[in-house]
Amino acid sequence: MQWIKIPLIIAAVLILAMVFRHRQRVGLRAGSRLLVLALAIMAVTSIIDPDIPQGLANVLGVTRGTDLLLYGLIVVFVLTSLGLYFRLSETEQHLRRLVRSLAIEEALRRDGPPGARRSPPTRDPGPDRTPDADGT
Amino acid sequence: MNSGPTHLNDDVWVIVPCYNEGPVVRGVIQRVREHFPNVVAVDDGSRDNSAAEIAATGARLVQHPVNLGAGAAYQTGVDFALRDPDAQIFVTFDADGQHQVEDVVAMVHRIREVDVEVLIGSRFLGSVDGMSTSRRALLRAAITFERVTSGISLTDAHQGLRVFRRSFAQILDLTAHDMRWASEFLTRMSEHQTTFAEFPVHVRYTDYSRSKGQRSINSVNIGIDVLIDKVLRGR
Repeated sequence: MQWIKIPLIIAAVLILAMVFRHRQRVGLRAGSRLLVLALAIMAVTSIIDPDIPQGLANVLGVTRGTDLLLYGLIVVFVLTSLGLYFRLSETEQHLRRLVRSLAIEEALRRDGPPGARRSPPTRDPGPDRTPDADGT
Repeated sequence: MNSGPTHLNDDVWVIVPCYNEGPVVRGVIQRVREHFPNVVAVDDGSRDNSAAEIAATGARLVQHPVNLGAGAAYQTGVDFALRDPDAQIFVTFDADGQHQVEDVVAMVHRIREVDVEVLIGSRFLGSVDGMSTSRRALLRAAITFERVTSGISLTDAHQGLRVFRRSFAQILDLTAHDMRWASEFLTRMSEHQTTFAEFPVHVRYTDYSRSKGQRSINSVNIGIDVLIDKVLRGR
């Protein structure tokens, strides 16, 4: 047995543990998570006994077990990247909505509701606010 | 719907998004306010003195704490103006001085007369000063692009001067935060079968506005993003 197998097994188990520990935060979709699980099992079995994934690869018509692992990894990578992309754009959308409504509330608080019969602002934009607004 | 003191333009809100337009924004808003009392300037997280310049004009100021992009700034302006129950007509107007207030006066006058929800300014029905030939060709291509993707046929698809009624303002809901907003605006129109017309406007590109303008190559990014949006929304 080569010694490299020990750190590789530990790494695979650690990755699996991390994925499940942070499932809320990372929010991986279930399909992607199952693939990760399958990959981790494959990783461990192929490290212990390379013949097992090799046999599976032969059944599926893939030349080598490591190739099968690579294909699975690509699928997981693409799924995860896409999931993160959608999640990120969703978060950005939420952030923009939040910032926009915050800006409007702030403007209403400062100068009152819009179009109140053209009444002048309660406080004039006088000399008290120009210095800090410039910030030069 | 058409009640109210039309000659005072009290029911009109002019929305001016502003990002680092400190040198010109005060003059632009002052000219608008000669005709339209209700102006909301959305400072989109400018790093210069834009906010102070806007405050000096007496226009309503809404400040994004961070820069979100033109589309977000327009939507903030629309949301703010919708808080005024008397607001009936909404105008989008650029802060860099390329638009003429006289055009807005004419467009507002027109939309009160004809029964359309949206009036879109067109540089090619009107006139453009200082636009390069390549830019003109690019905008022609953009018109074809919009015709294919949104099914709305215009002579000028990416023009910031637009006038619309409250009914359209309520459904606008721009989610595109950047320059895609112009396309999303048209998409919203085709989704709701909004009635619209074009109106000739006169745009003056100065050295200032040219230096602030979009780089032409960015149209590739915008086009691809618009297509992605279409595909995702289509599911």
